[in-house]
Amino acid sequence: MGSISIVRFFIATMRAALYRYSTMWLAQVSFRYRRRDRYVIEAAEARLGPGDVVELTGPNGAGKSTLLRLLAGLTRPTSGAVTGRPAVVGYVPDRFPTGQPFTVAGYLRHMARVRGGARWEPWAERVGLDGFSGVRLRELSKGTAHKVGLVQALMAEPGLLVLDEPFAGLDRDTRDALPGIVTEVAARGGIVVASDHQGGLGMLDGVRRWSLRSARLIEHPPASPGDPPDRLAAAGLAGPRDAVTVEVSVPARELDGFLRRMRDDGYPARALTEEEAT
Amino acid sequence: MIALVAFRVAAYVRSHRVFQALLPLLVLISILHAGRAPRGAEAAALTDSAVLVIPLLAWATRGLLDTEPDEQRAISATGVGGRPREVAAGLLAALVTCAAFAALTLGSGLALGLSATPSRGVVAAAAVVHALAVLAGVALGALTSRPLMPSPAYSILALVAGFLTMLLVGASPVYWLTVPVTAWMKAAGAGRLVSELPGLAAVSLAWCLAGLTVYWCLRRSRP
Repeated sequence: MGSISIVRFFIATMRAALYRYSTMWLAQVSFRYRRRDRYVIEAAEARLGPGDVVELTGPNGAGKSTLLRLLAGLTRPTSGAVTGRPAVVGYVPDRFPTGQPFTVAGYLRHMARVRGGARWEPWAERVGLDGFSGVRLRELSKGTAHKVGLVQALMAEPGLLVLDEPFAGLDRDTRDALPGIVTEVAARGGIVVASDHQGGLGMLDGVRRWSLRSARLIEHPPASPGDPPDRLAAAGLAGPRDAVTVEVSVPARELDGFLRRMRDDGYPARALTEEEAT
Repeated sequence: MIALVAFRVAAYVRSHRVFQALLPLLVLISILHAGRAPRGAEAAALTDSAVLVIPLLAWATRGLLDTEPDEQRAISATGVGGRPREVAAGLLAALVTCAAFAALTLGSGLALGLSATPSRGVVAAAAVVHALAVLAGVALGALTSRPLMPSPAYSILALVAGFLTMLLVGASPVYWLTVPVTAWMKAAGAGRLVSELPGLAAVSLAWCLAGLTVYWCLRRSRP
Protein backbone atom coordinates (compact mmCIF):
# COMPACT_ATOMS: atom_id res chain seq x y z
CA MET A 1 0.00 0.00 0.00
CA GLY A 2 2.82 2.36 0.97
CA SER A 3 4.78 1.66 -2.21
CA ILE A 4 1.68 2.32 -4.34
CA SER A 5 1.28 5.69 -2.64
CA ILE A 6 4.93 6.53 -3.29
CA VAL A 7 4.56 5.61 -6.98
CA ARG A 8 1.39 7.71 -7.26
CA PHE A 9 3.14 10.65 -5.58
CA PHE A 10 6.11 10.25 -7.96
CA ILE A 11 3.83 10.16 -11.04
CA ALA A 12 1.91 13.22 -9.82
CA THR A 13 5.14 15.11 -9.16
CA MET A 14 6.58 14.20 -12.55
CA ARG A 15 3.34 15.14 -14.28
CA ALA A 16 3.32 18.54 -12.57
CA ALA A 17 6.97 19.10 -13.50
CA LEU A 18 6.35 18.06 -17.10
CA TYR A 19 3.33 20.28 -17.62
CA ARG A 20 4.57 23.32 -15.69
CA TYR A 21 7.04 24.15 -18.47
CA SER A 22 6.06 22.94 -21.92
CA THR A 23 6.05 23.96 -25.56
CA MET A 24 2.90 25.69 -26.79
CA TRP A 25 1.58 25.63 -30.31
CA LEU A 26 -0.87 27.90 -32.08
CA ALA A 27 -2.27 26.00 -35.05
CA GLN A 28 -4.33 28.06 -37.54
CA VAL A 29 -5.90 30.02 -34.67
CA SER A 30 -8.68 32.37 -35.79
CA PHE A 31 -11.09 34.37 -33.69
CA ARG A 32 -14.12 36.55 -34.25
CA TYR A 33 -16.69 37.71 -31.74
CA ARG A 34 -19.83 36.88 -33.74
CA ARG A 35 -20.61 34.74 -36.74
CA ARG A 36 -20.82 37.58 -39.28
CA ASP A 37 -18.10 39.78 -37.76
CA ARG A 38 -14.70 40.15 -39.39
CA TYR A 39 -11.91 38.06 -37.92
CA VAL A 40 -9.91 39.81 -35.20
CA ILE A 41 -7.20 37.17 -35.55
CA GLU A 42 -6.83 35.03 -38.62
CA ALA A 43 -4.89 31.79 -39.07
CA ALA A 44 -2.23 32.54 -36.46
CA GLU A 45 0.60 30.01 -36.39
CA ALA A 46 3.33 30.00 -33.75
CA ARG A 47 5.48 27.86 -31.51
CA LEU A 48 6.41 28.97 -28.01
CA GLY A 49 9.17 27.05 -26.27
CA PRO A 50 10.19 27.09 -22.60
CA GLY A 51 12.13 30.27 -21.84
CA ASP A 52 10.68 32.28 -24.74
CA VAL A 53 9.90 35.96 -24.14
CA VAL A 54 7.58 37.56 -26.68
CA GLU A 55 6.89 41.25 -27.10
CA LEU A 56 3.58 41.77 -28.89
CA THR A 57 2.88 45.09 -30.58
CA GLY A 58 0.22 46.47 -32.86
CA PRO A 59 -2.09 49.47 -33.17
CA ASN A 60 -5.00 49.99 -30.79
CA GLY A 61 -7.83 47.57 -31.56
CA ALA A 62 -5.55 45.21 -33.48
CA GLY A 63 -6.50 42.29 -31.24
CA LYS A 64 -3.50 42.13 -28.91
CA SER A 65 -5.59 41.60 -25.76
CA THR A 66 -7.71 39.01 -27.59
CA LEU A 67 -4.59 37.08 -28.61
CA LEU A 68 -3.32 37.20 -25.02
CA ARG A 69 -6.63 35.83 -23.75
CA LEU A 70 -6.50 33.05 -26.33
CA LEU A 71 -2.99 32.17 -25.19
CA ALA A 72 -4.04 32.21 -21.52
CA GLY A 73 -6.99 29.90 -22.24
CA LEU A 74 -9.57 32.52 -21.27
CA THR A 75 -11.17 32.60 -24.70
CA ARG A 76 -11.75 29.72 -27.10
CA PRO A 77 -10.60 30.17 -30.70
CA THR A 78 -13.34 30.30 -33.33
CA SER A 79 -11.24 27.82 -35.27
CA GLY A 80 -7.82 26.28 -34.85
CA ALA A 81 -6.26 25.24 -31.57
CA VAL A 82 -3.86 26.31 -28.87
CA THR A 83 -2.11 23.21 -27.53
CA GLY A 84 0.55 22.42 -24.96
CA ARG A 85 -0.39 25.28 -22.65
CA PRO A 86 1.57 24.97 -19.39
CA ALA A 87 -0.47 23.90 -16.37
CA VAL A 88 0.19 27.06 -14.34
CA VAL A 89 -0.80 30.30 -16.07
CA GLY A 90 -0.34 33.80 -14.69
CA TYR A 91 -2.47 36.52 -16.27
CA VAL A 92 -2.12 40.25 -15.65
CA PRO A 93 -4.93 42.30 -17.23
CA ASP A 94 -4.21 45.81 -18.51
CA ARG A 95 -6.47 47.24 -15.80
CA PHE A 96 -6.55 45.46 -12.47
CA PRO A 97 -10.16 45.24 -11.18
CA THR A 98 -10.07 47.37 -8.02
CA GLY A 99 -13.85 47.26 -7.45
CA GLN A 100 -13.61 44.44 -4.92
CA PRO A 101 -14.26 44.52 -1.17
CA PHE A 102 -10.82 43.43 0.04
CA THR A 103 -7.61 44.94 1.30
CA VAL A 104 -4.43 44.23 -0.65
CA ALA A 105 -3.33 41.55 1.84
CA GLY A 106 -6.82 40.06 2.08
CA TYR A 107 -7.11 39.79 -1.68
CA LEU A 108 -3.65 38.28 -2.14
CA ARG A 109 -4.26 35.80 0.69
CA HIS A 110 -7.40 34.60 -1.10
CA MET A 111 -5.55 34.34 -4.43
CA ALA A 112 -2.71 32.44 -2.72
CA ARG A 113 -5.25 29.89 -1.41
CA VAL A 114 -6.79 29.62 -4.89
CA ARG A 115 -3.26 28.95 -6.17
CA GLY A 116 -2.84 26.12 -3.66
CA GLY A 117 -0.97 27.99 -0.94
CA ALA A 118 1.52 30.03 -2.97
CA ARG A 119 3.67 32.61 -1.14
CA TRP A 120 2.81 36.15 -2.17
CA GLU A 121 4.73 38.11 0.46
CA PRO A 122 8.18 38.01 -1.23
CA TRP A 123 6.70 39.23 -4.50
CA ALA A 124 4.76 42.01 -2.74
CA GLU A 125 7.98 43.17 -1.12
CA ARG A 126 9.84 43.00 -4.40
CA VAL A 127 7.44 45.25 -6.31
CA GLY A 128 7.06 47.67 -3.40
CA LEU A 129 3.62 46.61 -2.19
CA ASP A 130 4.63 45.74 1.37
CA GLY A 131 3.50 49.13 2.69
CA PHE A 132 0.02 48.74 1.22
CA SER A 133 -1.11 45.50 2.89
CA GLY A 134 -3.96 47.10 4.84
CA VAL A 135 -5.11 49.45 2.07
CA ARG A 136 -8.43 48.71 0.37
CA LEU A 137 -8.21 47.83 -3.32
CA ARG A 138 -10.63 50.67 -4.16
CA GLU A 139 -8.21 53.22 -2.70
CA LEU A 140 -5.19 52.16 -4.79
CA SER A 141 -3.75 54.25 -7.62
CA LYS A 142 -3.68 52.67 -11.07
CA GLY A 143 0.00 51.80 -10.80
CA THR A 144 -0.25 50.27 -7.32
CA ALA A 145 -3.30 48.26 -8.35
CA HIS A 146 -1.29 47.01 -11.33
CA LYS A 147 1.35 45.74 -8.90
CA VAL A 148 -1.34 43.68 -7.13
CA GLY A 149 -2.15 42.17 -10.51
CA LEU A 150 1.52 41.35 -11.05
CA VAL A 151 1.89 39.70 -7.63
CA GLN A 152 -1.17 37.46 -8.05
CA ALA A 153 0.22 36.25 -11.39
CA LEU A 154 3.81 35.75 -10.25
CA MET A 155 3.20 34.04 -6.90
CA ALA A 156 2.60 30.56 -8.38
CA GLU A 157 5.75 30.37 -10.56
CA PRO A 158 3.76 30.34 -13.82
CA GLY A 159 4.82 28.24 -16.78
CA LEU A 160 3.06 30.82 -18.95
CA LEU A 161 3.01 34.46 -17.90
CA VAL A 162 0.67 36.67 -19.93
CA LEU A 163 1.07 40.41 -19.41
CA ASP A 164 -1.29 42.96 -20.97
CA GLU A 165 0.52 46.31 -21.07
CA PRO A 166 2.59 45.51 -17.98
CA PHE A 167 4.43 48.84 -17.81
CA ALA A 168 1.32 51.04 -17.82
CA GLY A 169 1.22 53.24 -14.75
CA LEU A 170 4.13 51.61 -12.94
CA ASP A 171 6.59 53.74 -11.01
CA ARG A 172 10.19 53.88 -12.21
CA ASP A 173 11.56 51.35 -9.66
CA THR A 174 9.03 48.66 -10.56
CA ARG A 175 9.36 49.43 -14.27
CA ASP A 176 13.08 48.93 -13.98
CA ALA A 177 12.61 45.71 -11.97
CA LEU A 178 10.07 44.13 -14.32
CA PRO A 179 12.47 43.11 -17.13
CA GLY A 180 14.56 41.30 -14.49
CA ILE A 181 11.47 39.49 -13.19
CA VAL A 182 10.54 38.47 -16.75
CA THR A 183 14.08 37.18 -17.28
CA GLU A 184 13.80 35.07 -14.10
CA VAL A 185 10.51 33.52 -15.21
CA ALA A 186 12.03 32.72 -18.60
CA ALA A 187 15.23 31.35 -17.02
CA ARG A 188 13.08 28.91 -15.01
CA GLY A 189 11.60 27.65 -18.29
CA GLY A 190 8.48 29.78 -18.31
CA ILE A 191 7.02 31.42 -21.40
CA VAL A 192 6.36 35.16 -21.17
CA VAL A 193 4.11 36.97 -23.63
CA ALA A 194 3.57 40.71 -23.15
CA SER A 195 1.72 43.28 -25.18
CA ASP A 196 3.76 46.40 -24.79
CA HIS A 197 3.34 49.84 -26.32
CA GLN A 198 6.20 51.22 -24.30
CA GLY A 199 8.98 48.90 -25.39
CA GLY A 200 9.95 48.01 -21.85
CA LEU A 201 11.02 44.47 -22.77
CA GLY A 202 12.65 45.44 -26.05
CA MET A 203 16.03 45.79 -24.37
CA LEU A 204 16.14 42.17 -23.16
CA ASP A 205 18.34 39.71 -25.01
CA GLY A 206 16.59 37.21 -27.26
CA VAL A 207 13.13 38.78 -27.11
CA ARG A 208 10.90 37.55 -29.92
CA ARG A 209 8.96 40.35 -31.56
CA TRP A 210 5.42 39.70 -32.70
CA SER A 211 3.02 42.18 -34.20
CA LEU A 212 -0.62 42.04 -35.19
CA ARG A 213 -1.51 43.77 -38.46
CA SER A 214 -4.84 43.37 -40.25
CA ALA A 215 -5.69 40.30 -38.12
CA ARG A 216 -2.43 38.60 -39.10
CA LEU A 217 0.21 37.57 -36.57
CA ILE A 218 3.65 38.47 -37.87
CA GLU A 219 6.92 37.42 -36.27
CA HIS A 220 9.76 39.82 -36.91
CA PRO A 221 13.29 38.46 -37.11
CA PRO A 222 15.27 38.67 -33.88
CA ALA A 223 18.15 41.09 -33.51
CA SER A 224 21.35 39.66 -35.02
CA PRO A 225 24.98 40.76 -35.37
CA GLY A 226 24.16 42.22 -38.78
CA ASP A 227 21.48 44.48 -37.36
CA PRO A 228 22.07 48.17 -36.58
CA PRO A 229 24.34 48.41 -33.53
CA ASP A 230 23.30 49.49 -30.08
CA ARG A 231 24.47 53.06 -30.35
CA LEU A 232 24.97 53.46 -26.61
CA ALA A 233 27.30 50.50 -26.58
CA ALA A 234 28.97 51.59 -29.81
CA ALA A 235 29.65 55.02 -28.33
CA GLY A 236 31.21 53.41 -25.28
CA LEU A 237 28.38 54.58 -23.03
CA ALA A 238 27.90 52.00 -20.32
CA GLY A 239 24.39 52.83 -19.21
CA PRO A 240 21.75 55.44 -18.48
CA ARG A 241 24.13 57.53 -16.39
CA ASP A 242 26.23 58.32 -19.49
CA ALA A 243 23.30 58.75 -21.84
CA VAL A 244 21.02 61.70 -22.46
CA THR A 245 17.24 61.30 -22.37
CA VAL A 246 15.26 63.30 -24.91
CA GLU A 247 11.52 63.86 -25.17
CA VAL A 248 9.85 63.65 -28.58
CA SER A 249 6.12 64.15 -29.27
CA VAL A 250 4.65 62.01 -32.04
CA PRO A 251 1.03 61.42 -33.11
CA ALA A 252 -0.41 58.42 -31.22
CA ARG A 253 -1.07 56.48 -34.42
CA GLU A 254 2.61 56.72 -35.39
CA LEU A 255 3.99 55.61 -32.02
CA ASP A 256 4.67 51.97 -32.85
CA GLY A 257 6.42 52.83 -36.11
CA PHE A 258 8.50 55.56 -34.48
CA LEU A 259 9.64 53.29 -31.64
CA ARG A 260 10.48 50.53 -34.11
CA ARG A 261 12.60 52.89 -36.24
CA MET A 262 14.46 54.14 -33.17
CA ARG A 263 15.16 50.59 -31.99
CA ASP A 264 16.20 49.55 -35.48
CA ASP A 265 18.69 52.40 -35.34
CA GLY A 266 20.03 51.04 -32.05
CA TYR A 267 18.44 53.44 -29.56
CA PRO A 268 16.65 51.89 -26.55
CA ALA A 269 13.46 53.94 -27.05
CA ARG A 270 10.24 53.62 -25.07
CA ALA A 271 7.02 55.60 -24.62
CA LEU A 272 6.38 57.54 -21.42
CA THR A 273 3.62 56.34 -19.11
CA GLU A 274 0.61 58.59 -18.53
CA GLU A 275 1.96 59.47 -15.08
CA GLU A 276 5.38 60.42 -16.48
CA ALA A 277 3.84 62.46 -19.27
CA THR A 278 1.88 64.52 -16.73
CA MET B 1 -11.67 25.19 -6.27
CA ILE B 2 -12.98 25.32 -2.69
CA ALA B 3 -10.72 28.34 -2.07
CA LEU B 4 -12.32 30.12 -5.03
CA VAL B 5 -15.80 29.27 -3.70
CA ALA B 6 -14.79 30.81 -0.34
CA PHE B 7 -13.39 33.88 -2.15
CA ARG B 8 -16.63 34.43 -4.06
CA VAL B 9 -18.87 34.00 -1.01
CA ALA B 10 -16.57 36.33 0.97
CA ALA B 11 -16.76 38.95 -1.80
CA TYR B 12 -20.56 38.63 -1.88
CA VAL B 13 -20.85 39.12 1.87
CA ARG B 14 -18.18 41.83 2.24
CA SER B 15 -19.64 43.85 -0.65
CA HIS B 16 -22.96 43.88 1.30
CA ARG B 17 -24.76 42.59 -1.80
CA VAL B 18 -25.91 39.74 0.40
CA PHE B 19 -28.39 42.14 2.03
CA GLN B 20 -30.11 42.76 -1.32
CA ALA B 21 -31.49 39.23 -1.05
CA LEU B 22 -31.41 38.67 2.71
CA LEU B 23 -33.56 41.66 3.70
CA PRO B 24 -36.45 40.86 1.27
CA LEU B 25 -36.17 37.24 2.42
CA LEU B 26 -36.66 38.26 6.05
CA VAL B 27 -39.65 40.42 5.05
CA LEU B 28 -41.12 37.46 3.12
CA ILE B 29 -40.65 35.11 6.08
CA SER B 30 -42.24 37.64 8.44
CA ILE B 31 -45.32 38.03 6.22
CA LEU B 32 -45.66 34.32 5.43
CA HIS B 33 -45.48 33.19 9.02
CA ALA B 34 -47.25 36.15 10.68
CA GLY B 35 -50.17 33.81 11.32
CA ARG B 36 -49.48 30.16 12.08
CA ALA B 37 -50.86 27.68 9.53
CA PRO B 38 -53.82 25.68 10.92
CA ARG B 39 -53.46 21.99 11.82
CA GLY B 40 -53.41 19.86 8.66
CA ALA B 41 -52.07 22.68 6.43
CA GLU B 42 -48.39 22.20 7.33
CA ALA B 43 -47.34 20.86 3.93
CA ALA B 44 -49.16 23.67 2.09
CA ALA B 45 -47.56 26.38 4.25
CA LEU B 46 -44.05 24.99 3.86
CA THR B 47 -44.45 24.43 0.09
CA ASP B 48 -45.79 27.98 -0.42
CA SER B 49 -42.68 29.38 1.26
CA ALA B 50 -40.44 27.18 -0.92
CA VAL B 51 -42.09 28.50 -4.10
CA LEU B 52 -42.15 32.16 -3.05
CA VAL B 53 -38.48 32.12 -2.12
CA ILE B 54 -37.37 31.05 -5.64
CA PRO B 55 -37.14 34.58 -7.15
CA LEU B 56 -35.15 35.73 -4.12
CA LEU B 57 -32.77 32.79 -4.51
CA ALA B 58 -32.40 33.65 -8.21
CA TRP B 59 -31.75 37.27 -7.23
CA ALA B 60 -29.12 36.12 -4.71
CA THR B 61 -27.43 33.92 -7.34
CA ARG B 62 -27.37 36.73 -9.88
CA GLY B 63 -25.98 39.13 -7.26
CA LEU B 64 -23.28 36.68 -6.19
CA LEU B 65 -22.16 35.87 -9.73
CA ASP B 66 -22.18 39.53 -10.74
CA THR B 67 -20.17 40.70 -7.71
CA GLU B 68 -16.95 39.61 -9.40
CA PRO B 69 -15.67 42.12 -12.01
CA ASP B 70 -15.12 40.66 -15.49
CA GLU B 71 -11.32 40.93 -15.29
CA GLN B 72 -11.34 39.22 -11.89
CA ARG B 73 -13.22 36.31 -13.48
CA ALA B 74 -10.30 36.02 -15.92
CA ILE B 75 -7.77 36.14 -13.07
CA SER B 76 -9.76 33.56 -11.11
CA ALA B 77 -9.95 31.27 -14.13
CA THR B 78 -6.19 31.26 -14.60
CA GLY B 79 -5.66 30.90 -10.86
CA VAL B 80 -7.93 27.90 -10.44
CA GLY B 81 -6.71 26.12 -13.57
CA GLY B 82 -9.20 26.89 -16.31
CA ARG B 83 -12.55 28.37 -17.24
CA PRO B 84 -14.64 25.24 -16.43
CA ARG B 85 -13.41 25.25 -12.83
CA GLU B 86 -14.12 28.96 -12.51
CA VAL B 87 -17.70 28.43 -13.75
CA ALA B 88 -18.14 25.44 -11.42
CA ALA B 89 -16.83 27.47 -8.46
CA GLY B 90 -19.35 30.23 -9.18
CA LEU B 91 -22.24 27.76 -9.29
CA LEU B 92 -21.04 26.03 -6.13
CA ALA B 93 -20.78 29.36 -4.29
CA ALA B 94 -24.32 30.20 -5.40
CA LEU B 95 -25.56 26.77 -4.26
CA VAL B 96 -23.97 27.20 -0.83
CA THR B 97 -25.44 30.68 -0.40
CA CYS B 98 -28.90 29.71 -1.61
CA ALA B 99 -28.87 26.56 0.54
CA ALA B 100 -28.25 28.77 3.59
CA PHE B 101 -31.15 31.06 2.60
CA ALA B 102 -33.44 28.07 1.97
CA ALA B 103 -32.46 26.51 5.32
CA LEU B 104 -33.34 29.80 7.02
CA THR B 105 -36.71 29.81 5.24
CA LEU B 106 -37.52 26.20 6.10
CA GLY B 107 -36.26 26.55 9.67
CA SER B 108 -38.37 29.67 10.21
CA GLY B 109 -41.41 27.90 8.77
CA LEU B 110 -41.00 24.91 11.05
CA ALA B 111 -40.29 27.04 14.13
CA LEU B 112 -42.73 29.90 13.65
CA GLY B 113 -45.25 29.11 10.93
CA LEU B 114 -47.08 25.98 12.09
CA SER B 115 -49.73 25.29 14.74
CA ALA B 116 -48.95 21.58 14.99
CA THR B 117 -45.82 19.48 14.63
CA PRO B 118 -45.78 18.03 11.10
CA SER B 119 -45.13 14.35 10.38
CA ARG B 120 -41.67 13.20 9.41
CA GLY B 121 -42.89 12.56 5.85
CA VAL B 122 -44.11 16.15 5.49
CA VAL B 123 -40.86 17.53 6.90
CA ALA B 124 -38.84 15.38 4.49
CA ALA B 125 -41.04 16.43 1.54
CA ALA B 126 -40.71 20.10 2.56
CA ALA B 127 -36.91 19.68 2.68
CA VAL B 128 -36.92 18.17 -0.83
CA VAL B 129 -39.12 20.97 -2.15
CA HIS B 130 -36.79 23.59 -0.64
CA ALA B 131 -33.80 21.79 -2.19
CA LEU B 132 -35.54 21.92 -5.57
CA ALA B 133 -36.26 25.63 -4.98
CA VAL B 134 -32.52 26.14 -4.45
CA LEU B 135 -31.70 24.43 -7.74
CA ALA B 136 -34.41 26.36 -9.59
CA GLY B 137 -33.21 29.66 -8.09
CA VAL B 138 -29.55 28.98 -8.93
CA ALA B 139 -30.40 27.97 -12.51
CA LEU B 140 -32.63 31.02 -13.09
CA GLY B 141 -30.13 33.40 -11.47
CA ALA B 142 -27.18 31.96 -13.41
CA LEU B 143 -29.03 32.23 -16.73
CA THR B 144 -29.73 35.92 -16.04
CA SER B 145 -26.23 36.80 -14.76
CA ARG B 146 -23.99 39.36 -16.46
CA PRO B 147 -21.87 37.09 -18.70
CA LEU B 148 -25.05 35.91 -20.44
CA MET B 149 -27.17 39.07 -20.07
CA PRO B 150 -25.00 42.18 -19.89
CA SER B 151 -28.01 44.54 -19.75
CA PRO B 152 -29.32 44.85 -16.15
CA ALA B 153 -32.80 45.78 -17.42
CA TYR B 154 -33.15 42.71 -19.65
CA SER B 155 -31.63 40.56 -16.95
CA ILE B 156 -34.21 41.55 -14.32
CA LEU B 157 -37.04 41.23 -16.87
CA ALA B 158 -35.84 37.75 -17.79
CA LEU B 159 -35.59 36.74 -14.13
CA VAL B 160 -39.16 37.85 -13.36
CA ALA B 161 -40.46 36.38 -16.63
CA GLY B 162 -38.78 33.08 -15.84
CA PHE B 163 -40.50 32.83 -12.46
CA LEU B 164 -43.89 33.86 -13.91
CA THR B 165 -43.46 31.15 -16.56
CA MET B 166 -42.91 28.59 -13.81
CA LEU B 167 -46.08 29.78 -12.03
CA LEU B 168 -48.33 29.96 -15.10
CA VAL B 169 -47.14 26.89 -17.02
CA GLY B 170 -46.94 24.96 -13.74
CA ALA B 171 -50.68 25.60 -13.24
CA SER B 172 -51.59 24.28 -16.71
CA PRO B 173 -52.08 20.69 -17.93
CA VAL B 174 -48.63 20.90 -19.55
CA TYR B 175 -46.99 21.61 -16.20
CA TRP B 176 -44.15 19.30 -17.16
CA LEU B 177 -42.88 21.93 -19.63
CA THR B 178 -41.26 23.86 -16.78
CA VAL B 179 -40.33 23.54 -13.11
CA PRO B 180 -43.93 22.90 -11.98
CA VAL B 181 -43.98 25.08 -8.87
CA THR B 182 -47.75 25.64 -8.99
CA ALA B 183 -48.22 21.88 -9.21
CA TRP B 184 -46.14 21.56 -6.02
CA MET B 185 -48.52 23.97 -4.26
CA LYS B 186 -51.63 22.24 -5.64
CA ALA B 187 -50.42 18.82 -4.48
CA ALA B 188 -49.52 20.19 -1.04
CA GLY B 189 -52.91 21.95 -0.70
CA ALA B 190 -54.69 18.69 -1.56
CA GLY B 191 -52.64 16.73 0.95
CA ARG B 192 -50.92 14.69 -1.78
CA LEU B 193 -47.42 16.22 -1.66
CA VAL B 194 -45.69 13.14 -0.23
CA SER B 195 -47.30 10.76 -2.74
CA GLU B 196 -46.89 13.00 -5.83
CA LEU B 197 -43.44 14.30 -4.95
CA PRO B 198 -41.40 11.66 -6.85
CA GLY B 199 -42.97 12.57 -10.21
CA LEU B 200 -42.92 16.32 -9.59
CA ALA B 201 -39.37 16.18 -8.28
CA ALA B 202 -38.17 14.27 -11.35
CA VAL B 203 -39.65 16.90 -13.72
CA SER B 204 -38.31 19.75 -11.57
CA LEU B 205 -34.86 18.21 -11.31
CA ALA B 206 -34.69 17.64 -15.07
CA TRP B 207 -35.51 21.28 -15.86
CA CYS B 208 -33.08 22.61 -13.24
CA LEU B 209 -30.28 20.46 -14.63
CA ALA B 210 -31.20 21.52 -18.17
CA GLY B 211 -30.98 25.18 -17.12
CA LEU B 212 -27.60 24.66 -15.46
CA THR B 213 -26.33 22.76 -18.52
CA VAL B 214 -27.41 25.60 -20.83
CA TYR B 215 -25.59 28.06 -18.55
CA TRP B 216 -22.48 25.85 -18.60
CA CYS B 217 -22.51 25.59 -22.41
CA LEU B 218 -23.14 29.31 -22.99
CA ARG B 219 -20.31 30.28 -20.64
CA ARG B 220 -17.88 28.42 -22.92
CA SER B 221 -18.35 31.14 -25.53
CA ARG B 222 -19.16 34.01 -23.15
CA PRO B 223 -16.35 34.23 -20.63
